[in-house]
Amino acid sequence: MTKPNSADLEFKKDAILKDLSVLSQSGFHRMFFAVISFIYAPSISSFTSSIFHIFGNNTPHNDFNDSRRFKLILWSIICSTRGGPNRAKILNLVKNTPMNANKIATVLNLDHKTVVHHVKILSKNELVVKAEKDYGAEYQLSQIMKENQSVLEEIMQKIGTK
Amino acid sequence: MIDFMLAAVISAFLNIGLLLIIIGTYLQNMRVIRSYYTSGLVLVASLLMIQNVVIVLFWFTLYMDDKALMMSADMVSHYLFTINVIQTIGLSILVWITRR
Repeated sequence: MTKPNSADLEFKKDAILKDLSVLSQSGFHRMFFAVISFIYAPSISSFTSSIFHIFGNNTPHNDFNDSRRFKLILWSIICSTRGGPNRAKILNLVKNTPMNANKIATVLNLDHKTVVHHVKILSKNELVVKAEKDYGAEYQLSQIMKENQSVLEEIMQKIGTK
Repeated sequence: MIDFMLAAVISAFLNIGLLLIIIGTYLQNMRVIRSYYTSGLVLVASLLMIQNVVIVLFWFTLYMDDKALMMSADMVSHYLFTINVIQTIGLSILVWITRR
């Protein structure tokens, strides 16, 4: 029987250590990471959008950021704040012809200050765009609002003639 | 030491006040716009209202009458206090958003 030399021993030791490291990863450890990576493989935003997709209307998956978000903003601004119906009326008025705050106030029979406040909130939420003038600046619908006018029409139908 | 039960009931009364403001605004909107959205808002707010009324009733009936019940209510009062204070903070943010 020959005595093993030191290089041979080192090699064996390395091989055993490698085996052990594989062993420690092979059991639950690997399974755990597999499950985690399976769960987290789709990002959270796509996960939520797919949930919306299941319950929502038939909007395509890519439109989530546009129409779904927009619909939520418009409904909550109009229906869940004080003076919301007035905001809807302002949007409906500005839809066809750009107007300044004073004219909106006279047409809707509202206080000038109220209209300025409403318009400020609407432009903060990017529903209305102010013209470049300083005095008597006219307001008109923003691009995203123009693209999604059907939502506004739906709400205006609910308001009706009241 | 703070009387957690009293503090919890005070914040429950605050919640009721805040919820009255919220429900008033939602009802005004619901009268103009009738839809699932507005009626859902009113429903949720009134359910929260019922919760807070039940807390006040709990305080009046259970806590005031019985010594033994009072002891057991004191043992959980800090949890009730935490729940109510968090609710008060949340509702005041909601009121701020609603009346902006």
